[in-house]
Amino acid sequence: MSTAAMTETSRSAAGTERKSRTWVLPSVVLALLGTLWLYVGSLDLDSVEARSLAGDVVLGALWQHIQLVVVSTVLTVAVGVPLGVALTRPGIRRAGAIVLAAANASQAVPSIGVLVLLAMIFGVGFWMAVVALVLYALLPVLRNTMVGIRQVDPALIDAGRGMGMSTREVLLTIELPLAVPVMLAGIRVALILNVGVATLAAFTNAGGLGSVISSGIALDRMPVLIVGSALTMALALTVDWLAGLAERALRPRGI
Amino acid sequence: MSDRPTPSPDAMIVLDGVSKRYPGQDKAVVSDLSMEIRRGEFVVLVGPSGCGKTTTLRMINRLVEPTAGRILIDGRDVTHVDGDELRRGIGYVIQQIGLLPHLTIADNIALVPKMLGVAKSERRARALELLELVGLDPALHADRHPRQLSGGQQQRVGVARALASDPPVMLMDEPFGAVDPIAREKLQTEFLRLQERIRKTIVMVTHDMDEALRLGDRIAIFDSGSRLAQFDTPLEILSNPADDFVRDFVGSGAPVRRLSLLTVADVLGTAPSTAAGAGRAIEVDPGDSVHTALEQVLAAGAEGIEVAVPEEGSRFLDLGTLLTAASQPAKVLT
Repeated sequence: MSTAAMTETSRSAAGTERKSRTWVLPSVVLALLGTLWLYVGSLDLDSVEARSLAGDVVLGALWQHIQLVVVSTVLTVAVGVPLGVALTRPGIRRAGAIVLAAANASQAVPSIGVLVLLAMIFGVGFWMAVVALVLYALLPVLRNTMVGIRQVDPALIDAGRGMGMSTREVLLTIELPLAVPVMLAGIRVALILNVGVATLAAFTNAGGLGSVISSGIALDRMPVLIVGSALTMALALTVDWLAGLAERALRPRGI
Repeated sequence: MSDRPTPSPDAMIVLDGVSKRYPGQDKAVVSDLSMEIRRGEFVVLVGPSGCGKTTTLRMINRLVEPTAGRILIDGRDVTHVDGDELRRGIGYVIQQIGLLPHLTIADNIALVPKMLGVAKSERRARALELLELVGLDPALHADRHPRQLSGGQQQRVGVARALASDPPVMLMDEPFGAVDPIAREKLQTEFLRLQERIRKTIVMVTHDMDEALRLGDRIAIFDSGSRLAQFDTPLEILSNPADDFVRDFVGSGAPVRRLSLLTVADVLGTAPSTAAGAGRAIEVDPGDSVHTALEQVLAAGAEGIEVAVPEEGSRFLDLGTLLTAASQPAKVLT
């Protein structure tokens, strides 16, 4: 009784602590954006810079970037989670090692290489970039789904089978809910990876903040380069923050 | 197998020449085992590790599929029925308890009723009722998560969950094994009291002979290789062990352990009457165990016991007579 009460107190203490920490990241992002705003405002922009940093150009690139990230992450999850679940089923468990090795290898290949190779084979554009991003971000989702399901205590599965659950009911009521925290962590990693790798999509003509950065490099205009990089950073931090919030909200209570 | 005698009508679980052999192993885990467990009986399977007792238990609800033989529950051959459906009708308690950490206590208890399609409000009411039954305050525990409960409390919930759909049969695999010794004894006592009320047919596995003696109506002692060395009441096993293996397994102290299983009424028949009033006596009930009677006599420094016998009035037994009578083989007594 008293231990239970203690657990509750310590848990709510940890809760408030975490709650206060959730505001650190957005404050950093806001400070970053504010500094960027002041910095750009203080500059005397030449015509090239002004054209590259026009509001609609930058915001358009940002929007494209977000689209790339969201679409590729959704597809990554849509492919990675079912595949990961399938690879933990008894019949094909052995194939898991092979698929994991392949996913590992695909991530070991430099992302720019994957992008350029795919562009050479399938052409350029938004969807090609999405395919490359999905291939690249598949590993953490796949691996964490498999690990998350495998780490479920076998005694729980035995208890479930013993009370008459079918293997499907065991998956839906025991394995998947208990794997959620690990799976969410994998999805979060995939999201962050995608924000970074999507900057390379500019090389295959898929737009995004990478195009701002690369035009900064190509035109030798420092402010353009800085705006592109800083916005990418701010986006990555924001996405990480949102993913953290989602992770907390979706984590089943009691574990 | 058809030449085997037909099971008696009060048999709840019948194992008929059941074997389990895993592919690639030449020795069977369980081979040609036949047992009959009666309705409302509490049977404990006990034996050294690797003797096949857990496999036997798990074959009853077909978590392990037998490779030969038949299993009958309540007269129905369940060897080939749908396993999931069969298990929904059989309570199952395991040592690791296996409460789902992401569900509340009430939801854990209601898992089987939910699978059986019982309405939500009804499930909840049933869960609260069962919490009460296993001695946990529903108001305090129903909406907690398993992690907030102690090991002993969790196993009570485990028992409640197994009882949720009111199954006639309960299988328990070392249910009290993970609980600390003090809580274990308390749980055992409470469970016996609970069993007196619910009268389920229970098959329990343990490696602890003391637990088996304390809980079982009958005990099945397995030798390695799933040979059923003896299947009898605790008193009979202590009094007349079938062979050296059983004698070794029961271990030393059998004569003393018997004293808690013998009642004073049991020994009265063989005890010669001693003159009443020969010494200071403690009054005991004929239903008390000899162990309890002795304890009282020794604690009070008395010389014997005084028992009220319906037809002869009261009888006095001095300590020596009581002990001599209690050490007689039980065959004479029953």
